[in-house]
Amino acid sequence: MRDRQKELLELLDKSGANLYALLTRLTLREDVAEELMQELFIKLSNSRRFDKAGNRQAYARRAVINLAFDWRRSRKRNPLRLEQVREPASNDSSPLSKLVRTEELDEILNAISRLKGACREAFVMRYIQEEPYDYIAEQLGKSTHQVRAMCSKALNHLRNMLGHNRQKSSGKETHNVKK
Amino acid sequence: MSKNDENQIERRLKVLSQIEPSPRATERAMQRVRDTLIGERSRQSAGARIWRTVFKSPIAKLAAAAVLLIAVGYATGRLSAPEPLDVEELKASLESSLKSSLEPAIRQDLLEQMDDRWQSAFADGIAQIKEELQRQVRRDLTEFAAQTLAASGSLTNQRLMELIQLIEAARIKDRERIETAFKQIEINQTQLGKSLLAMASRTNELLDIKEN
Repeated sequence: MRDRQKELLELLDKSGANLYALLTRLTLREDVAEELMQELFIKLSNSRRFDKAGNRQAYARRAVINLAFDWRRSRKRNPLRLEQVREPASNDSSPLSKLVRTEELDEILNAISRLKGACREAFVMRYIQEEPYDYIAEQLGKSTHQVRAMCSKALNHLRNMLGHNRQKSSGKETHNVKK
Repeated sequence: MSKNDENQIERRLKVLSQIEPSPRATERAMQRVRDTLIGERSRQSAGARIWRTVFKSPIAKLAAAAVLLIAVGYATGRLSAPEPLDVEELKASLESSLKSSLEPAIRQDLLEQMDDRWQSAFADGIAQIKEELQRQVRRDLTEFAAQTLAASGSLTNQRLMELIQLIEAARIKDRERIETAFKQIEINQTQLGKSLLAMASRTNELLDIKEN
């Protein structure tokens, strides 16, 4: 038990900042990222699979991605109340542009959340963490070629999803005009 | 999807990848996790620490020894004293004796009742089966008779038809024979007539000769 806590503290020192940054990128909220970071380490300290995992860092990253997308899904089910809305993480200053940008990013993150398992992990590592293909392949235990294929497939899915959403919303508008 | 939209996706992904939490927030989050992990470790070791602290003090050691002695004395007293009436044990023994005396009788009675029920049910069943069988045999016989009657009727009709055909054929043959006979008689009559005419003319000739 003590060994595991030592390992977790080592993991925190080594990858904690990266994991927190990833959580912030996926949730767009520092406060939520902090909560999820806490939850992550509590889960890891109680997880038997973590002990058995060959690559603990990869295991923790996968857990981060799952936690963040679960949070996004739960947020969709329970829409935010006004008092819960905090300022999103963004580099722009104008409130309107901040809002627009957050909505845009939310849209793409929701689309990413609909991707499956390893495909989603590879995509997040490549496009959000900007990791090189070789590193991703090593972390996922796949070949570089496979990772490239997975990322390309995921990007296509994303294009289709976002294109479909756009068509749906434009269809709605036309319908409203006709009425 | 247009090229423009693709560019938009790429732009958004780029923006996402460039988001960095503030160093203060990162530090705060990491510190919070660290505190939690260390707190958990200290909670786990707290139990052991309490015992260590207790046994460091000589008064605590004496108190623990006294408690241990009292416990040993109590246990010895309990073990050497005559055992009090155990209600639970009494209840259990009563239950077992009652069970052993009543169980065979109840079982026997139950078996007899079951036998009676089975027998009456069996008798009823046999009577019912017998009646059903009789009814079935009667029904089968009636059906068989009807079928036989129908079959024999059709056979008789067939034989009668054959007989009629034979009689008809015989009649036709007879008629033909009679016709042939009549034809023969007619031929014979013609020849007889001719012979008679010839004989008459001969007679006339003879008579004429005689007169002359």
